[in-house]
Amino acid sequence: MNFSIGFTDLNASLHDLEDNDLDALMADLVADISATEEKFATERDTFKGSAPVAQIPSQPQSNFNLIASTDTSRPATSSNSIAAPPPPPTSKPSKEELEEQMKADKIKLALEKLKEAKVKKLVVKVEITDGSSKTLMVDERQTVRDVMDNLFEKTHCDCNVDWSVCETNPDLQTERAFEDHENLVEPLSTWTRDTENKVLFQEKKDKYEVFRNPQNFYMWKKDKKSLKDMKDKDKEQLLEENFCGASVIVPDLEGILYLKEDGKKSWRQRYFLLRASGLYYSPKGKTKASRDLVCLVQFDNVNVYYCKEYRIKYKAPTDHCFILKHPQIQKESQYIKYLCCDDVWSMTLWVTGIRIAKYGKQLYDNYKAAVRKAAGSATWANRTIQTSSNASTPSPTPKAKAANGHASHPAVETKGPGNQTSFPPPPPPSMEILPPQPPDPMLPPPLPAPSSTTKVNKFPPPPQFPQSSIPPPPTDDLPPPPPPPEDAEQPPDFLPPPPTSMTSYGGAALPPPPPEPLASLPPPPPAPQNFASAGGAPPPPPPPPPPPAPAPAAYQPTNSVRKVAPSPPQRTTPQLAAPSGGDFMSELMTAMQKKRSQP
Amino acid sequence: MAAWDLTVTVEDLGPDAPPLQISVTSDLHIGGVILKLVEQTNLKRDWSDHALWWEQKQQWLLRTGWTLDKCGVHADARLIFTPQHKPLRLGLPNGATLKMRACFSSPVFRTVMGICRVLNLRHPEELSLLRPVEEKKKKKDKDSSEELYDLTDVPLTAGSVQALYNGMPAHFADSPKTEAVYKMLSVSLPSPAPEAIAKLYRPASIVDKTHIHTRWLDSSRSLMQQGIQENDKLGLRFKYYTFHDMDPKYDAVRLTQLYEQARWAILLEDIDCTEEEMMLFGALQYHIGKQSLSQDMVSSCQGMDDLESALKSLEVKMVGDGNSTDMLDNMTAPELNDHLKIFRPKRLTLKGYKQYWCKFQETSISYYKSKEDRYGEPIQQLNLKGCEVAPDVNVAGQKFCIKLLIPAPEGMNEIYLRCENEKQYSQWMAACKLASKGLTLLDSSYQSEVQNIQTFLSMQRSSSAAPTSQTDESINTHSLVSPRYQKKYKPKQLTPRILEAYQNIAQLSLTSAILKFLQIWQALPDFGISYFMVRFKGSRKDEVLGIANNRLIRIDLGVGDVVKTWRYSNMRQWNVNWDIRQVAIEFDGNINIAFGCVNADCKVVHEYIGGYIFMSTRARQQSDTLNEELFHKLTGGHEAL
Repeated sequence: MNFSIGFTDLNASLHDLEDNDLDALMADLVADISATEEKFATERDTFKGSAPVAQIPSQPQSNFNLIASTDTSRPATSSNSIAAPPPPPTSKPSKEELEEQMKADKIKLALEKLKEAKVKKLVVKVEITDGSSKTLMVDERQTVRDVMDNLFEKTHCDCNVDWSVCETNPDLQTERAFEDHENLVEPLSTWTRDTENKVLFQEKKDKYEVFRNPQNFYMWKKDKKSLKDMKDKDKEQLLEENFCGASVIVPDLEGILYLKEDGKKSWRQRYFLLRASGLYYSPKGKTKASRDLVCLVQFDNVNVYYCKEYRIKYKAPTDHCFILKHPQIQKESQYIKYLCCDDVWSMTLWVTGIRIAKYGKQLYDNYKAAVRKAAGSATWANRTIQTSSNASTPSPTPKAKAANGHASHPAVETKGPGNQTSFPPPPPPSMEILPPQPPDPMLPPPLPAPSSTTKVNKFPPPPQFPQSSIPPPPTDDLPPPPPPPEDAEQPPDFLPPPPTSMTSYGGAALPPPPPEPLASLPPPPPAPQNFASAGGAPPPPPPPPPPPAPAPAAYQPTNSVRKVAPSPPQRTTPQLAAPSGGDFMSELMTAMQKKRSQP
Repeated sequence: MAAWDLTVTVEDLGPDAPPLQISVTSDLHIGGVILKLVEQTNLKRDWSDHALWWEQKQQWLLRTGWTLDKCGVHADARLIFTPQHKPLRLGLPNGATLKMRACFSSPVFRTVMGICRVLNLRHPEELSLLRPVEEKKKKKDKDSSEELYDLTDVPLTAGSVQALYNGMPAHFADSPKTEAVYKMLSVSLPSPAPEAIAKLYRPASIVDKTHIHTRWLDSSRSLMQQGIQENDKLGLRFKYYTFHDMDPKYDAVRLTQLYEQARWAILLEDIDCTEEEMMLFGALQYHIGKQSLSQDMVSSCQGMDDLESALKSLEVKMVGDGNSTDMLDNMTAPELNDHLKIFRPKRLTLKGYKQYWCKFQETSISYYKSKEDRYGEPIQQLNLKGCEVAPDVNVAGQKFCIKLLIPAPEGMNEIYLRCENEKQYSQWMAACKLASKGLTLLDSSYQSEVQNIQTFLSMQRSSSAAPTSQTDESINTHSLVSPRYQKKYKPKQLTPRILEAYQNIAQLSLTSAILKFLQIWQALPDFGISYFMVRFKGSRKDEVLGIANNRLIRIDLGVGDVVKTWRYSNMRQWNVNWDIRQVAIEFDGNINIAFGCVNADCKVVHEYIGGYIFMSTRARQQSDTLNEELFHKLTGGHEAL
């Protein structure tokens, strides 16, 4: 089986994977075999984090950062195995060597595990418009929407609705944007081994144009200029009429297209009509009446693809061609229907019309989800991308987890943080909380926090997590008193960022994600307002205005505990709890991380 | 005040009894007249439903407080004292005729509400009554023998909330007879014999279609006022093609009758569709007919649906759950093993079918040279996931082939499997069908799939023998398609085509199949357009105006093409000049159109447009009560205002 897309072999693809992704992959795979994981998850509460605190202090700040960043981009499932980097007391003979060795080992292991894994995963290289590329792991359960969310995170682009994951086929000179609801692994795994097909990540204006300007599609016969100023209200009504009824209405396209004749080089003009049930043409000498129409193709088993330069390749009348074919067909074949339009606009009309006929209301739902996503990301613009993606997507993590056979119910069912209360604390949620703490290295942290204090902050005694997540009753462990303003020492990364620091974050690439943890976890007592924002809405700047002047020395443990409460427990616990599971791999990984973190 | 004699015919005294003369004064109110009248008849009975009908003026005297003077009744008036509710023969969308009592004195709009309440049909505003097509004299005798369902004894309940009893409204549960009526209403009827379809009136052109809509009754006037007599026959149909808030839970009758109306529209070519669509409609009809037969009562059928959907979701869960796959892996998966003949058409080869030992496992077929070789490497293994499966069957010729189109990077691999007999065929066909969707033999639907295929095959066997209506086992495929296709294809040609379409819908539950049928119907380009013959102001020729739920279209009769479309959303106002019977409409951008109706009353057109505007207001007002006043405001003529 092929495990990678866009690489000569799997090994190369794994090499190309970002370290944190590789970690994530490993973590998934480990999770897959470690049957005890769940047990640990439940045991975790009992630890209440007292132990971890002791252990952590020795960790250097820089290391922390590195781990943190790893965590943020890693799917939650992985938490247990790699999450807790114990300060490996290893000496470093030669950093590069060790690193290389580490990575080689990890890859070797990953290869083995991949083959064992029940859930199909692909390592996919995605090319981006600017010529760069990203490599990512795609789980067979992930939809294109999930993958795009992942890509948004990695590319830091704006999340507008036009972004699409596309496939190209150089043999056929085709390109097609996957629909957001489609599964990505399935089509990719039918590619041939030696394929030169590519996966692209780019903006496609056509993708949702029909929802922005439905009149151009549904009233295409009218002069486009006269439609230009259509009121939003009327557009909405058009969409309502055509997409929200008992059945979706397909634009009543009809007109002359060229059809490449079966097995011949010639193109023949035919009068085509689009219906919900398929693409038809009216034979010569017959009327356009329904009964006389001949069905060229129905859409159940075919997809529609844009084509490039068919004038040269197939002597098409124009370069505005599209084809209809079964997704598995990768080469020229008599089973492909080749069609050619007079101009670009008519091609857009037909391709969009066919997509509406094929996908129906799903397309509209995809669009609405994309709009929500785009709106969400805009509001979050000054915050971390990580956070926003977590907030708005049910992140693939829980699914992946289930896929691994662990079927920890909580993980499967927990889509939003709100649900978590009812279950024994599943590992994934903890991960979501993690992001907030680590100051991203790229971010000029507002306060250079001295390492020792920071450590304490990061791994405070875990609060009683399993209890209700939303308005959590402050447990005994947590000293409820709000932090006195003097508590300047507190590194802001943990906290809901103070208004003052907010501004400073504004320009930063990775703003602090605190709001997220608030929503999902027992939030710091002083900020009850934030609960309203649970569910992904951008929370308002948290109430306690932290002091502008950091006073490291003044640090008070109680405060720190309170502030940090949400996140840390899970992270440390697994490690402690599962020395047995602390197999050689995680050992390796932590060691490696430690290595890397060395300046 | 001077007393004078008023002549009143009391129907209850018998047709030959002379009219009564009562002495009245002009300031006597109607209630007083009725009181005097009743006293004079000396009949003891419930007179509460009776009212006075003024024959010459064609109007009811319903306001009992008004004086004779105010009503304009003088000594020359001939009044009739008659019940307001009279029996009516209703032609239902499913073709059955139901005799029931309806109100002859209120506006038709309200009469329909009353009828629908008895029939348990929600949203009566979408339906209306129309006069039947005039039947030829010869046929009349035959029709008198038609089966008649009778609901005249059922009291009209005033309450709008229906108590349920045995899964049906309580008033149907009274007797086996009324239960049978409810079953007729809520379960779709068996397919008609092909001859019956061919015999019925079919519109041959768009001009013919305009005639249908000339027959609608006026919603703002009463039945009596429109010349409808006791025991006359009227059609009850969905008039406005916008079906609000359809919910299978509450809409058993509504859904069934709507399906029946759609089915007949397709069968009688009221609405055009392509051949592919017709085959799918045929397959769905077959499936719905079969499902309906296997369900005795509606109540149980709903229970079944629920159960079925519950099972479905359970199944999905199982499939989606990683654990269960583990579990299944440990069990030995069932297989099919048999001798089959395989044929792979290739260019320049004349080789025919060759026999191999075939094994169906998971979603793949492996074939071996012989049974003895089965433990070795197969000659080839075909994974059917994502492939296209088509039947190639001729029962009479004992040909049972499965055509597989298996996608590959180079194109589709075409492979034919030839089975020995029906049994083998149905097993392998079902397996192929499931495998193409990625399901294995373990899937719960396998057995029913096998069953379905066998049943369908028996259709072909019996079609030549007894071409009557649908029985439990057999059906003539000709009764599933319109006469055009009856002529075009013989049953044995039709069966495989319908079977092909049937493969994709065989798993649907009864309700889902009906909904699917309606969905495809509603997606047809010509769906929901009512045609009228009109003449536009300034134009010299007749043209056709199509009225749909969101737009008006102008159709050139010569070409049959849509010339222009106007949307209601751009409509400023419309009005009717009743003197010259012309409808004038103003659209945004100073577009004005005006037209007169050629063969229909312009009130019908006016009501249609106003009716659609009314329907569109429903979504906004979420309340359940029907805004009758608004309806009349939008659809009423000058009399109403």
